[in-house]
Amino acid sequence: MRSHDQRAWFGVLPVLVVVAFSAVIPLMTVVNYSVQDIFDLSSRLFVGLDWYRETLRDPRFQAALGRQLLFSALVLAIEIPLGILIARSLPRRRAGARGNQGAGLWLVVIAIPLLIPWNVVGTIWQMFARPDIGLLGRALNLGGLDFNFTAEPLHAWIVLLLMDVWHWTSLVALLAYAGLASIPAAYYQAAELDAAGRWQVFRHVELPRLRFVLIIATLLRLMDSFMIYTEPFVLTGGGPGNSTTFLSQYLTSMAVGQFDLGPAAAFSVLYFLVILLMCWLFHVSVMRDDDTGGSGGT
Amino acid sequence: MAEVVVSGLAHRYPGAAADTLAGLDLAIARGEAHALLGGSGAGKTTLLNLLSGLLQPTAGGIRFDGRDVSRLPPRDRGVAQVFQFPVLYDAMTVAETLMFPLRNRGWKRAAARSRAEDIAGRLELTPWLGRRAATLSLFQKQLVAIGRAVVRPDIAVVLLDEPLTAVEPATKWQLRRVLRALQQELGATMIYVTHDQTEALTFADRISVMHAGRILQTDTPEVLYEQPAHEHVAHFIGSPGMNLLRGVVDAGAYRLDGYPLAPAPGVAPGPCIIGFRPEWAALVAATAGRSGVARGAADPAPGPFSTLLPVRVTATRVLGIEARRPVGLVTAMLGDQPVRTRQAIECAPGDGALLAVDPERLVAFRDGARLGA
Repeated sequence: MRSHDQRAWFGVLPVLVVVAFSAVIPLMTVVNYSVQDIFDLSSRLFVGLDWYRETLRDPRFQAALGRQLLFSALVLAIEIPLGILIARSLPRRRAGARGNQGAGLWLVVIAIPLLIPWNVVGTIWQMFARPDIGLLGRALNLGGLDFNFTAEPLHAWIVLLLMDVWHWTSLVALLAYAGLASIPAAYYQAAELDAAGRWQVFRHVELPRLRFVLIIATLLRLMDSFMIYTEPFVLTGGGPGNSTTFLSQYLTSMAVGQFDLGPAAAFSVLYFLVILLMCWLFHVSVMRDDDTGGSGGT
Repeated sequence: MAEVVVSGLAHRYPGAAADTLAGLDLAIARGEAHALLGGSGAGKTTLLNLLSGLLQPTAGGIRFDGRDVSRLPPRDRGVAQVFQFPVLYDAMTVAETLMFPLRNRGWKRAAARSRAEDIAGRLELTPWLGRRAATLSLFQKQLVAIGRAVVRPDIAVVLLDEPLTAVEPATKWQLRRVLRALQQELGATMIYVTHDQTEALTFADRISVMHAGRILQTDTPEVLYEQPAHEHVAHFIGSPGMNLLRGVVDAGAYRLDGYPLAPAPGVAPGPCIIGFRPEWAALVAATAGRSGVARGAADPAPGPFSTLLPVRVTATRVLGIEARRPVGLVTAMLGDQPVRTRQAIECAPGDGALLAVDPERLVAFRDGARLGA
């Protein structure tokens, strides 16, 4: 006999209420806005999916989405390998050795960028890259390069990528370091006895055991870089032209700047769905071969 | 496969006050199954790491077939190791894992493949050659790890560091049997580290009993059992361990409670530890008197030393039935010292009895070392 005590649901009620007010109700409000044309708070008109159609056909939306995808792809392509490289080169405790040989200090040093508020990061790089007074910009110009990130889209992108790499590679490095530190020394000993080279140790010992850590790191960086707002807003303001205007900034200019609540709401829902879709695709692609033994990484 | 000779080997960890291993001498024959047996802190793993090259000796040397390897890096020593838990390359198939040490040493793919298949066949892993090692059971994973250790025909010595630790108890004996059979088939020199005397006694041709960074005795299981060279060996080997009682050497005899037990020719008088295994002694009923014959394994010959010592039975433990009589362990008090015998159980706690010890097999120690051997 199994007894079902329905009173247990009352125990979950507080959580449901909190989630409803913090997530479900705001999200549904946005969905509600996205299907109406709002003139002011008392006069509104149901327009169905018109705003969605309009948003998807909007060349500025398409361009911002394209820039966003390119930015995230570049950020991941640089930060993940670089983070692993940094984590691998940090000192690690090996069998027979006493103490952790100062890794703690290094971890603190590389974690510093993570502690800086995002708008401050933008400001730091804005000054650093300025061609007239910035250390980087001035040095490049003195070195004969005609560098001006406020005028040249390519230069703006380079500064933006440098800034994001500087800001976030530490996160990947810290996660990868934690993953590497959890590999028992016996695996390295076995590889040494099997005469494995450095690349083989990485390929056959470290990478398989870093798999889950790297999935987490990639997901975090993918979502974060896809929603980037503060740093480019401070650094370039979306310019020159629209060359560094990403989705969130375009959305803000629509919703806050022009008060187009209906189209902005449709935009928000689409934005949300795109992120959800990418995370799902990523999840499916990395978990696909699990039935043949993905549990090895645990 | 190689002969392993260790001479004067010592190791001290950096910053440590004392040597972890001091002045170790050991010779292991080609194709021998050798066990390093000892409790934790005995120095077994340090010795293993010195053999594999993970640690460098602070003194002494290691020779494989006469070649001094003590300063060579691990990969150049021709050593393979099986660890406490299965250490495998997660993303590789069983076949790739077995071929890996060969391919890294320049074997052609076809040759490596056929050698890997041969080893897999001996370990009954053939059906899993194409499977990823990470998907196998612990037992099979450890088999793969053993296979990878023995796959190189030119390996000098295979080191096994408590290889049964991670395997379920039910399959431990099976893995041990497979390992022993493989060792004999390949004629591999194997060094097996364990704290479990059953594993050591059933696996090894010879055993080195280690304690506090020294090898106390190296010999066959039989000799270790019958003729322990050190008090610790007597205590460590056998289940239950040997009876070790405080006695004295006086007037040319080993004595307990003043009673002479066996002659002690040429041994200086003084306190000693007298040892005998439970099956080398027997209790007889108090009424049997001094002329009575003890039943059980011991059959003390008549003579001046076939002494019967008065004891009081405190506990009995039946281990089985033989010839319709319960047999097992009897614990009795000789003065304030407990004594255990293995025999037919014909007494009950509280009974008075007489203890007879086989004087031929009695061993004695002073300051840990064997007396009169």
